[in-house]
Amino acid sequence: MSYILGVVLLACTTALTCALPGVFVVLRKHSMIVDGISHAVLPGIIIGFAIVGDLDSPVLILGAAVTGLLVVLGNEWLTETGLLAGDAPQGLIFPSLFAVGILMVSMDFQHVHLDTHVALVGDMNLAAVIPLTVGGVNIGPEYLYVMLGLLLLNAGFIAVFSRALKITTFARQFAEILGIRTRLLNTAFMFLVSVTVVAAFNAVGAILVISLLVVPAATAQLISTRLSVMFALTAAIAIIGALAGFWIAYVLDTGTSAAMAVFYGVLFVAVAVAERTATRLRRNRHQDVKSEETSATLVRSASVR
Amino acid sequence: MVPKLSWLRLDSHHMDPVEFFSNHIFRMVFLGTTVIGLVAGALGAFAYLRKQSLISDVIGHAALPGALLAFLAAVTMFGVNGRSMLLLVIGAVITGTLAALFANTIAARTKVAIDTAMAISMTTFFGFGMLLLRFITNNPFPGKGGIQDYLFGNAASITRADLTTSIAVGALAMGLMVVFWKEFTLRSFDPVLSTMLGFKARIIDTLMFTTIVIAIVIGVKAVGFVLMVAFVVTPPAAARQWTNTLPGMVMLSGLIGGLGSGFGAYLSISLGNVPTGPVIVLVLFAILLFSLLASPKRSVVITALRRMRARRALKQELISEGSTR
Repeated sequence: MSYILGVVLLACTTALTCALPGVFVVLRKHSMIVDGISHAVLPGIIIGFAIVGDLDSPVLILGAAVTGLLVVLGNEWLTETGLLAGDAPQGLIFPSLFAVGILMVSMDFQHVHLDTHVALVGDMNLAAVIPLTVGGVNIGPEYLYVMLGLLLLNAGFIAVFSRALKITTFARQFAEILGIRTRLLNTAFMFLVSVTVVAAFNAVGAILVISLLVVPAATAQLISTRLSVMFALTAAIAIIGALAGFWIAYVLDTGTSAAMAVFYGVLFVAVAVAERTATRLRRNRHQDVKSEETSATLVRSASVR
Repeated sequence: MVPKLSWLRLDSHHMDPVEFFSNHIFRMVFLGTTVIGLVAGALGAFAYLRKQSLISDVIGHAALPGALLAFLAAVTMFGVNGRSMLLLVIGAVITGTLAALFANTIAARTKVAIDTAMAISMTTFFGFGMLLLRFITNNPFPGKGGIQDYLFGNAASITRADLTTSIAVGALAMGLMVVFWKEFTLRSFDPVLSTMLGFKARIIDTLMFTTIVIAIVIGVKAVGFVLMVAFVVTPPAAARQWTNTLPGMVMLSGLIGGLGSGFGAYLSISLGNVPTGPVIVLVLFAILLFSLLASPKRSVVITALRRMRARRALKQELISEGSTR
């Protein structure tokens, strides 16, 4: 497999892997918690890297994901103390964990040489450098297969728990009456999100991963009224964004993840404006028809008299 | 394997306060970060009471492209120093405000919820900022060295002019807060009454967010954009545990922000070559934890004790009631 094809496939797979759980993240209103997770996993990744020495290792991915879970559980604890107002609990824990990570990076913790720039936005091309060879044949970047595995895991989790996830998202109290362990399910789901964030770190870094997770699903939400449609649209938008982001980065010689983030944002605005315009036109036409009907009835009733 | 702690060079760079304050650069760092912490803490109190603390995260990330555009405009069009604090602040205030408005518009006009709207706004602006950063580092612009410091700050780069600018701009934001104190208070606690009394909600909101944006962007040189959220969210959350009045909260929050930042800056320098922003964030977090655990009226410990006592009293009452029957 050629290197460039490997990078393109990696971009698409990473986008898709992040976007699928993103649907429930958006619907459950957890976007900013995921932002916290994506910052908080940095110290976990660095400690893991110092121990394992490989960013793609499953041990590192699971271990660092636990740091991300600290944000979820910490947020729940702070909210339950009742001492803090509004969304402040979500903004209190992750900066400290991120600060620890940045301190480690800048002090060359255990001689882990990680560029702060890469820590923020990753490097898709660098992530695709190491190839996987089977029987002497290069079958694409090794990292691609890590992401493919995670894609299967995410799709599998969503498929198996789709009913429970749906009920807990749209009718939480009803779910509790049914005996669904909402809290356990939420923690498991957020752990999976955390795993996804860590796995994608190599390619898209700590800050822009939230774009891949949230924006395709939010764009799909604008124009869908059914969950199945939203999933299909999310997947399509994720892939389009990955291809467009790769192409923009290639032409401008710049970072893939940043280009993807900007493209997703612009696409969201375009879809939002188009959707509003379409709604307005439809409403106007509806009103026109209505007013014509009323005038017709008036004319008719006048002629009867 | 025994982990080597060579990165934690605690003793080798330790210095005493006298040595610290006799150094011009260190004095600049200390004063600069104290001003930033004070302004961000005081104005963050209003964001906290509006229950919109996280908007500061959006503003912080979105300030990056503004600061970089200001740099580009300065070196290509005006031929002046691209790292001038005033230009940087103006650019950052513009994109920071735009991002906050963008997030609020999405939440108001589409079915996308506010948290997702904030995430969309933040990543789009920050992604654009990272494209600009790459563009600047790839091309030969004068004075681009150290421009990566906008991300995590480098307190040692604060000059006297920067300090003057941050004090002036910070004072402007604090002045606006004092002048519009009544409007800000009413809008925070009773938005409906405030509109009924004839205060224009849009104007007050814009003013209030502008002051918060200013508080965030003056921190760029010392702290960087990525961690400024902690300067706006943490001091008010800590201050709230000790006071029940608005003036008390704004003052205490500013005090916690200012003292915490000054102490953090001192630590970061005496520990050696350590970035200032992250150290201050950890100091502020420690103050928050202390407040949550130890404040006399509201803390977690006191609440738990009170609950235990009430439970015991109730048990006693029930037992004595049962024995009299």
